[in-house]
Amino acid sequence: MIRLNDIVVKFGDFTALHGINVHVKEGEFFTFLGPSGCGKTTTLRTITGFIEPAAGTVVVKGRDITHVPIEDRNIGIVFQSYALFPTMTVYDNIAFGLKVKKVKKSEIDQKVRQIAKKVDLSDEQLAKAVSQLSGGQQQRVAIARALVTGPAIICMDEPLSNLDAKLRVQLRNELKKMQKDFGITTIYVTHDQEEALTLSDRIAVFNKGVIEQIGTPNEVYNHSQTEFVCNFIGDINRLNDDTVAALKAAGAAVDGSRHNYIRLERLHVNVAPRGGELTLDGTVENCEYYGLYIKYYIHIGSQTLKVIEKNDGVNIYEPGQQVKVVLNPGDIMAYNAPAEVE
Amino acid sequence: MDTAMNRRRFDAAFVVQVIGIAAFAYFFFGFMLLPCLNTLTSIFNVTNAAGERDPLAVIRFFFAGNMGRYVWNSLKLAICLVITVNVVGVSIVLLTEYFDIKGARILRLGYMTTMIYSGVALVTGYLFLYASDGILTTALTHAFPQFNASWFSGFNAVLFTMTFACTSNHALFLRNAIRGIDYNTVEAARNMGAKPFKVLRKVVFPTLVPTMFSLTVMTFITGLCAMSAPTLLGYDSINPEIVRLAGSSTADESFPQARAALLSIILALFTIVLLTVLSAYERKGHYLSVSKTKARLQKQKITNPVWNALAHIYAYILFIIYMTPVVMIVIFSFQTYGAIRMKKLDLSNWTLVNFFGTQDYQYLTSRGTYKVRKGSISGLFANEATLGGIKMSFVLSILAAALACLIVVIACNYIFKTRNKKMGIVLEYCLLFPWLLPTILICYSYRTYFNTDAIWYVGNTNLYFAENVRILLVLAYTVVKLPFSLRMIKASFYAIDNELEDAARNMGASGLVTFLKVKLPIILPSVLAVFALNFNALFTEYDMSATFASSYGTSYAMVIQAMCREEGLYGYNVNASGRRCASTVFIMLVSGLILYLVYGVGARDLGERLEAKERRRRRLERLSGVFHKKTAGQSPSGTTGGEK
Repeated sequence: MIRLNDIVVKFGDFTALHGINVHVKEGEFFTFLGPSGCGKTTTLRTITGFIEPAAGTVVVKGRDITHVPIEDRNIGIVFQSYALFPTMTVYDNIAFGLKVKKVKKSEIDQKVRQIAKKVDLSDEQLAKAVSQLSGGQQQRVAIARALVTGPAIICMDEPLSNLDAKLRVQLRNELKKMQKDFGITTIYVTHDQEEALTLSDRIAVFNKGVIEQIGTPNEVYNHSQTEFVCNFIGDINRLNDDTVAALKAAGAAVDGSRHNYIRLERLHVNVAPRGGELTLDGTVENCEYYGLYIKYYIHIGSQTLKVIEKNDGVNIYEPGQQVKVVLNPGDIMAYNAPAEVE
Repeated sequence: MDTAMNRRRFDAAFVVQVIGIAAFAYFFFGFMLLPCLNTLTSIFNVTNAAGERDPLAVIRFFFAGNMGRYVWNSLKLAICLVITVNVVGVSIVLLTEYFDIKGARILRLGYMTTMIYSGVALVTGYLFLYASDGILTTALTHAFPQFNASWFSGFNAVLFTMTFACTSNHALFLRNAIRGIDYNTVEAARNMGAKPFKVLRKVVFPTLVPTMFSLTVMTFITGLCAMSAPTLLGYDSINPEIVRLAGSSTADESFPQARAALLSIILALFTIVLLTVLSAYERKGHYLSVSKTKARLQKQKITNPVWNALAHIYAYILFIIYMTPVVMIVIFSFQTYGAIRMKKLDLSNWTLVNFFGTQDYQYLTSRGTYKVRKGSISGLFANEATLGGIKMSFVLSILAAALACLIVVIACNYIFKTRNKKMGIVLEYCLLFPWLLPTILICYSYRTYFNTDAIWYVGNTNLYFAENVRILLVLAYTVVKLPFSLRMIKASFYAIDNELEDAARNMGASGLVTFLKVKLPIILPSVLAVFALNFNALFTEYDMSATFASSYGTSYAMVIQAMCREEGLYGYNVNASGRRCASTVFIMLVSGLILYLVYGVGARDLGERLEAKERRRRRLERLSGVFHKKTAGQSPSGTTGGEK
């Protein structure tokens, strides 16, 4: 569907993208994930045509669109701010693209009402100004506007970043449902790993203008290919030399010359070790109560490890309490030292 | 093919850009820089009595003669004005916004009357009251025969008038600054034991200092460049002297043109220095409230009863000073010429003749016979000269206000779009250039520079000749309004989210369509507001048209000014004072309407407009429902009654 071949983007002397290669499949929800300034939005803007690459090609359905003007690419965009025209009504916002394309009035009306229905916007809402709508309704208008011209692809640039936490979760689910309903290929940009993991079919993790890993949420989270990805996705413990030595002494095959990590939920407190699992003695330093789960800070040897335990209302440990931390050495992710993150 | 299409688009955009830059360069060099440079060089282009070139003759004359007096007088006025305007300006804001004074809303309305009533209209209004034959002065001389009837003239009169005329900026900007104060800071100071006046001095005032500094500089420049008040009230300051010299010839006095040029350049130097100081101060940064949850300022009660009573008395004295001319003018605009001449209110005889229609005037000649002067009493909209002035000002102001907005909108679009930031900055500074120059320098420069048919780039046409002067007036009005228009319209361009433009382009809109359909509607309220404010200022403008002093460019303000001296001469213009009052009322109505449209209707966004529309619809529905019910109830064979 979409192929980015060796895309290089330069801003003056600064190289923003160093040979990006991506293949997005038809109907896929594909996410560009990474911290600020990593090149994810630049890649999106290269696909949409706002940025022309210094090298490489953008191919959509076999057609090279690298130098095709923005308006002729047939790609819909939902902007971070939604970019709804404040001087137009909801109806006029949605109809804008059709009017520019000089579609017949009756056809415009039919298409606008059709798409509005699909995104759950009432006729009454169509007559309103965009400023009269809630954040969620505005998002639906932005999606309707991007879809009404029948684009082959829809690109979303952090569309949830301006909303409060509760609304984000709610709209995330709506967004996923809409994408499935429309079956449209979607490229989504976000710096929020939770959003990426919950929404995406596949994720490309960006760092400093290169893609570190492309994979399904499970692959990216549980089998992070690089130290950056493992650090960026989710919370993680890096095991220091003393802990590694203790694990080795307990019989684990851990390579001390590499950087070793273990995820918080892979550690357990005061449970009976099963086959191959090891136990480390520790003291609870602090605990954070999240309701659904509890995060413990447990001092083991010379470091503090973070552990997440389900809140069952029974096994709750207080600071100062002696505990046993159980882990499976197979859950440790190890990376070569030269790839150390700054 | 795509590349070829892109290239074609690029070429078209490039051609438009080159034409735009060429047009702007023509406008900037031709109508801003060259005329002013000509004025500057004319100072040194002087021949002495022996017919020899003497570049320093005017400078020597300046130090030897009495030219310095005009500069000193202007400086004296500016310095005194800074003190008095700040005292009154700060007082009116504190009295209405900070202290709990009874009737603050009414007081505020009174203090803000100068926003709809300024310039020549205000000065003539004050003259109507306080001149030797003014209503109040006449009343005072009747009550106190020893009272000096000529008290309202010269420096004191100018200072008094301008003090109350120049507080509009305080009423606007200082009010906003004081409203921006976080009340929690006041409460915190009180909580730590500070007395109310200590809080005012140590917490409130420091936050107002940046605004007050800007207002002080602007007031100083206003005082320095004062024109209508010194001209009408008789005070020898720089601007009236420039106008006088500009109309003089070498046959009457030594190199008057060069002297006028020197005075206008001195004025420009003062302005440049002051604005540089202001810019440097503004660059240092301002106090910014760090509060995330700002509390609204609560009015402070003056607990000491004596101070409280004194504050109330002071507030209402100021109110009376502000309101008396307005009330008197409105009342007397509906009085007959006889009542106005006798300075006595005739409650039994009201008339609209000062506004509409004409009347004949019968008067006794020296031979003891009565003579009738046909149509000698005429209304504002019936008097040829007044109507001519209104029409002239209306057309010229509309043209200039629109032209200034058009130039600035195009320039801002370029500034915000261009990747060539340096070019954008150059363009911006060019548009701000007139801000550095007093309006009189621009107008004087036009008057002298274009008063020849040797300027090739205007087609070798003498633009100061006959009706051509109107072109000069429009150009001068436009140039003078460019900096203000730029500051306001540029601010509105910041409100355009870049993503809106990207969204429009993504949906296939061309640059022009994006501008017309997306960007222009967003900035339109601001552009219309600037247009209205420009028009409002230019419609009653006096300084510039007086500098041109051409009978072909007689503005409304000049007509009003002329009414002061032509009343009743040989039975002509018998009701000139009444028409003057009517003119002021008309100006107040126009200004009030414009301010309402700008700050009332124009400030609403689409959502608010749609809500208002919806409310109107519901109200209409409710009304028609009531009407239907009533008619149905009244109908003898109404079905409603039957159903009941």
